[in-house]
Amino acid sequence: MSSVKTFHHTADKLLTAGLLQGGLQKRRSEEQLFTSYAYFIQEGIRKYSLQEEDAFDAYADTVLSAIEKITNGSFESRSSLKTYLYQIFHNKCVDLLRKKTTNKYSVHRTLSIKDSLFNISDAARSVIQRLADKSDWAALRQKLGELGENCRKALLLWADGHSDQEIAATIEYKTAAVAKTSRIRCLEKLRQLYKAR
Amino acid sequence: MEYIEGYFRKEMSAEEITKFEQLILEDPLFAEEVAFYLSARQAAQDEGVIEKKERFREIYLQHKPAAPVRAMGRWSWYIAAASVIAVVIFSWYLYQRSAGPGQLANRYVEQHWQTLGVSMSSREDSIQTGLRLYNEGKWQDALRQFEEIIQSGVAGSEVKKYAGIVALRLKDYDKALVYFTELSQYKLYANPGLFYQAVTLLERNRSGDPENAKQLLLQVVQNDLEEKETAREWLRKL
Repeated sequence: MSSVKTFHHTADKLLTAGLLQGGLQKRRSEEQLFTSYAYFIQEGIRKYSLQEEDAFDAYADTVLSAIEKITNGSFESRSSLKTYLYQIFHNKCVDLLRKKTTNKYSVHRTLSIKDSLFNISDAARSVIQRLADKSDWAALRQKLGELGENCRKALLLWADGHSDQEIAATIEYKTAAVAKTSRIRCLEKLRQLYKAR
Repeated sequence: MEYIEGYFRKEMSAEEITKFEQLILEDPLFAEEVAFYLSARQAAQDEGVIEKKERFREIYLQHKPAAPVRAMGRWSWYIAAASVIAVVIFSWYLYQRSAGPGQLANRYVEQHWQTLGVSMSSREDSIQTGLRLYNEGKWQDALRQFEEIIQSGVAGSEVKKYAGIVALRLKDYDKALVYFTELSQYKLYANPGLFYQAVTLLERNRSGDPENAKQLLLQVVQNDLEEKETAREWLRKL
């Protein structure tokens, strides 16, 4: 029994270490994490009587939420990854049953921007929050799609917390400095496209 | 933008932070720029989440367990078990006889490209139309749709991949090879271009094709590219 526990502990460690790395390794670990407990989806269908699509959504959101917690350091490994994931999954299934998850993206977005503004002074924070609330998210995402392939990828990697060094390695920019300059140029280009809409 | 980034990356001194926050209050254009920086990052994060979810969906659809069967009586179980054993033996016999290059590729195509995942994303509606046409079996129309996007000059790697897949299903191998070769030249996170070229060559199976496919599969394994495990397995069988 203890060897099984040791095996799971080691597997969890390898997975979390992979998620903390950048580039291809992170992508593989994300997929591995998703596949490892994908049978939860069937459990969502059986135990919570969810439609397959809803059970998939609950599980995919669970994995994405766990990845976020692991990469920002708030997963403390007190429980196994499986237990941790199951807890989140269970809550999401219950939420779905109670139909509390409408418009989950906007909730997530507001929270994330609030996170970024956490340390800013009150007066400045309310100015930025008010301006950010006016953003046209659909247009912003559409304009992101109109950037070149490399630009779009660089911004997605940046927003996902990858360092400039990792971005350079993934998109084959020569150095981290080049990646940073290109990324900021892409941001400027996005701004121009967004303003000209 | 670099100045704004310095603030959010906590690279500023206490004095610089005060100045930065003061500027937000005093300069509406600067405040707008800061708000844009944060909104753009959030939009990119949302888009990334949607992409990841689509990737997960593809993985799930590939490994999805079969639908549960209805409860059966004891004799039905015996009959079913005997049938399964017979089918397994027969399939194994057929498999042993037909694990040639073309069959490997055919099986891959049937297993992976019966349907193509239609995304939930809001962007690139024309791609979604192409995918829907493909899934409805209208391969010629789907190819026309993808080629129109390519000709408009805004196509990315995704469209080249889909155009290649449809061309392959239509047995237009030369065209499929062109699209997959173009796909393999993109600098992507995970690029299946080389592997798909190998699939095309194996299915076409003209003189010299299996050898060229083997070289491509070797490159996939050596460079740790997308579909490495399948490539390794095929190299053992070829």
